[in-house]
Amino acid sequence: MKKKSSIVKLSVIGVVLIIGIVLSFCSFDIGLTTYKSFASSIKLGLDLKGGVYAVYESVDENTENLDERMEGTRTMLLNLLQKKGYPEATIVKEGTSRLRVEVPDVDNPQEIFSIIGKPASIRFVLDETNEQVITGDHIERAEPGYTATDGYVVQLTLNSEGADRFADATTNNINKTMSIYVQVAGEEEQKISSPTISVAITNGRAVINGMRDYDEAKNLSDQIMSGTFSVKLSLMDSSTVSATLGEQALFYGLLAGAIGLALVIVFMCVVYKLLGAAASVSLIVYTILMLFFLAVIPGVQLTLPGIAGIILSLGMAVDANVIIYERMKYEYRNGKSIMASSFAGFRRATMAIVDSNVTTIIAGIMLFIFGTGSIRGFAITLLIGIVLSLFTSMIVTRGIVKYFININSTNPKLYGFRRGKGFENVEADQTDVSVQQQMDKEREEKEEKKRAKKDKDKNAGGLANENI
Amino acid sequence: MKISNLLEKDFKLVEKKKIFFLIPVAIVLIAAIFMLIYGLVFGSPLNLGTDFTGGYSLDVRLGTKLTEANRSEYEKQVRSIIENLENENGTSYGIKVKAIQLQGSGDSSALHIMYEAVAEGVVMDSEINPKLQETLQSAIFKIIPAVTVDGSEVTLAYQFSFKDGQNTDSANRTFDSVKTRIEGIDGLQVSSVVCSEDYRSIIVTLGSAPADEMLDNIRNAATIDDKYSGLVSMGSATSAAFSSELLWSAFAAILASVVLMLVYIAFRFELTSGISAIIALFHDILIMFCFMVIFHIEINSTFIAALITILGYSINNTIIVFDRIRENKKTMLSGEGNAALIANKSVSETLLRSLNTTLTTLLTIGMVAILGVRDIKIFALPIIIGLLAGTYSSICISPAVWASWKDRKKRKGVQSESKEPTKAVAIK
Repeated sequence: MKKKSSIVKLSVIGVVLIIGIVLSFCSFDIGLTTYKSFASSIKLGLDLKGGVYAVYESVDENTENLDERMEGTRTMLLNLLQKKGYPEATIVKEGTSRLRVEVPDVDNPQEIFSIIGKPASIRFVLDETNEQVITGDHIERAEPGYTATDGYVVQLTLNSEGADRFADATTNNINKTMSIYVQVAGEEEQKISSPTISVAITNGRAVINGMRDYDEAKNLSDQIMSGTFSVKLSLMDSSTVSATLGEQALFYGLLAGAIGLALVIVFMCVVYKLLGAAASVSLIVYTILMLFFLAVIPGVQLTLPGIAGIILSLGMAVDANVIIYERMKYEYRNGKSIMASSFAGFRRATMAIVDSNVTTIIAGIMLFIFGTGSIRGFAITLLIGIVLSLFTSMIVTRGIVKYFININSTNPKLYGFRRGKGFENVEADQTDVSVQQQMDKEREEKEEKKRAKKDKDKNAGGLANENI
Repeated sequence: MKISNLLEKDFKLVEKKKIFFLIPVAIVLIAAIFMLIYGLVFGSPLNLGTDFTGGYSLDVRLGTKLTEANRSEYEKQVRSIIENLENENGTSYGIKVKAIQLQGSGDSSALHIMYEAVAEGVVMDSEINPKLQETLQSAIFKIIPAVTVDGSEVTLAYQFSFKDGQNTDSANRTFDSVKTRIEGIDGLQVSSVVCSEDYRSIIVTLGSAPADEMLDNIRNAATIDDKYSGLVSMGSATSAAFSSELLWSAFAAILASVVLMLVYIAFRFELTSGISAIIALFHDILIMFCFMVIFHIEINSTFIAALITILGYSINNTIIVFDRIRENKKTMLSGEGNAALIANKSVSETLLRSLNTTLTTLLTIGMVAILGVRDIKIFALPIIIGLLAGTYSSICISPAVWASWKDRKKRKGVQSESKEPTKAVAIK
C-alpha cells in the first residue's frame, strides 16, 4: 500500500518537474498573449545586454574644487539611480567636467536622464517677513507621495539644520502662510502653493502640495534631487549603447552552467546511487525556482559575474544533500537499518546544515544592508540561493528519499550503503541489537528529560499562580 | 586505496599543524616577494584593473556607415590599431582595449572604446592620445566593400556610391586606382575589372576561383579612402567606475558580516570555534589575494564579488567540521590532549563530505573557467583558488587551531599543579 502510493507520488513529482522545466525555458503563445519563460524574463546587466547612456556636462561657472564636487555629484547621482531600481548603473567621470552614466535598458531610463539634466531649485518663504526658511541645501531626500488631504505631494526629508529651521519657523508663525517656490533650470521661478501653517512641524519633514498627479510629483522630486547636486549638470548626449561583452559571453556562460549541472548530476548519481538521483531532482527544482525568483524579484539585473555566481551555487546547493547522505552512510555503517539510517541522517544533519546556512544568511544580510549597487544585487542572489537550497534539501530531497525507501528498504546497494566493522552480518532492514538498545536508551533519556522539564514548568507555573 | 578506507584511517592532523601552518605562510612570503618585484619592474605591485584605476575612452563616430553587418569588422580594425600603436622608435605602446560598445543609432552611431592607460596622464594627453586620434582618423574612414564570390567572378559591393554628386571624373579616377591596385596583387590572374553604372559595385573576373586569403587582398585593394565621413574624438581620461566609497561600503559589509558571524558561532558553538573559523576565513581570502598577486592577474570589481562568495563558502565548510566536534565532545571524555583527538576524529568523519562538496563546486565553476570569456575567467580563477584554500583550511587549519587552543588552556590549568612537559601528547 505504502509502496504504491510512493510510486504515485514520485510520478507526480516527475510530471511537476517537467512542467517546471518547460515554464523555465520555453516561451510560447497562448491565444493572443505570449508566455515568456522565467529564463528569458530575467533582466540582464550592461555587460550582457547593453542599455542606454547619457553624458552630462557641468555648466557651473564656479570652477573651485570642481574635481571634488564632481565626485560628490557622481555619488549622489549613483544613489538616485540605485534607488530608482538600477543597481547595476555605472557612472564614470570623463575628462574634467563630464559624467558618463550607463543604465541597463529597462523601463525607459531616458526619461530620468532628461529630468536629471533639468535640476530644480526650491525655497520655502514666509510671506509676511519674506524670510527664506529652507532651500535645496537643506534637503536630504525628495520622494513622491500621496496624502488624503493634499492628494499627490512631494515629501521632503530635511537634514538636521533644515529640520531646525523649519521647526522654528513653523512654531513661531502659526496661522500665517508660507510659500513654496520652484525654479527649473532655464525656466521662470514658479510659486507652487502658499499653505497656511496650522501646526508646528518639528519632525524634519516638509511637504510640497498641489501636484496634479503622481507623474508630476515624481518628476518634481527627481528634479529637486538633481538640484541638490553640488554641480549643475546639463544633458549633452543620450542614446542606446550595446553590451560590453555581448552575446557570446552569455552563450558560453549558459553552456558552462548546463554542462556543470549535468556533471554534478552524474557525479551525485555515481557516488550516491538512488540518493544521488533524489539530489539531482532537488537540484533541478533549485534551478527552476532560482530562475523564477530572479525573474520576479525587482532590482535584480544579472551581470556575467552574477551568472557565474549562480552557476557556482549549483555546485554548492548539493552540499546539504552530501552532508545528509554522508551522515546516513555513517549511521548505516554503524549498525542501523536503512530506514533508521535515513531517519537519523536527516535528523542529525539538520543542525549542521542550519548552522552553516545561518552564518551565510548573516553574511548575505550584512552585504545587503551595507553594500551598494552590484554588491547588493549579489547579496540578493546569494540569499535566494541559500533559502532555496535549504528548501530543496530539507523538503524535496527528504520526501523523495522517503518514497524511495518505502519502495525498497532491503537493498543497501541501491543507496551505496555498506556495513562497517562488526556489523557485516546485520540484515539491511534490521538494526543491530546493541545499537537498537542504545537508541532506545537515548530516546528514553530524552523523554525523561522532556517530562522533567514539563513537570518543572508546571511547578513553576503553579508557583507563579500562587504568587498572584 | 579506496576513498572509503580513508574513514578507517587515524589522522593526526593536529599533530602535524606546524607543516600545515607553514604552507600558507610560505605562500604569503612568496606573494610579498612578487609584490616587491612587480613594484620595481612595473611600478605597481598589483595589477589593478580599470574598475579601480580608471582609464581612457574615445568615440569613433561613424554615423550611418556603421551597420550590424560591418560592426565586427570595424571593431576588429579599431582594436588592432589601438593595440598596435607604436612610438617614434617603432616599439608598441602596449595599450589594451578594455571594451568596445556600439552607441547611438542612425546618424549618431559611434563606437565607444575604453582602453587602459600606459603612461602618466601628461604623456597620455600630450603624446599618445593625439597620435591615437590621428592614426584612427586616417585609418578608419575608408569605404570597405562587401565581397561575394560566384565561381571566378568576384563582386565588390559598396554601401554607397563612390560618385560624389555629378562628378564622374573623380569617381572614374577612384575606380582606376582601385583597378590598378587589384591588377597589381601578386599571384592573382585578373581577366577584367568592370565598374557598375551607379558606381556602387565593381565586378572582378578572375582566371580561376580565388582562395580565401586572396579575397582579403582584393578587399584591401578595393577599399576607398573616405577621410571626411566621420570623426574620432580625442581620448579623455575616465575615472574608476568602482569608487572608493563603493570599496568602503564593501569593506564595511565584510567587516560587519565577520563580526556577526563570530558572535553567532560563539553563541551556537563556543568562542574558540568562532575565532578559529574567522582565522580560516582570513586564510582563504589571503590566499586568493596572494594568487592574484603572484600570477599578476587583473584585479577588478569582480574580484570583490569573488571574495564575498568565498566569505560565505569558507565559513560554511568550517562549521560542518565544528558541528561534528560539538557532537563528539559530548561522547568523548575531556582531558589533556583530548581536544586534538576530538578534532582529528571529527575531521576524518566529515572528510568525504568536504571532498565531495568541493568536487561538485569545482565541477560547475571549473566549467565557467574553461568555457567563459576572459572577463569571467578572472572571476572564476580566484574562486577556484578560494575553494581549494577553504577546503584546506577547514581540514588542516581551523580544527588544529581550535584543538591547540583548547589543550593549551587546559594544560595551563594543570601545569600549576604538576610540571608536565608542555609538548602535545599524541593519543592513539
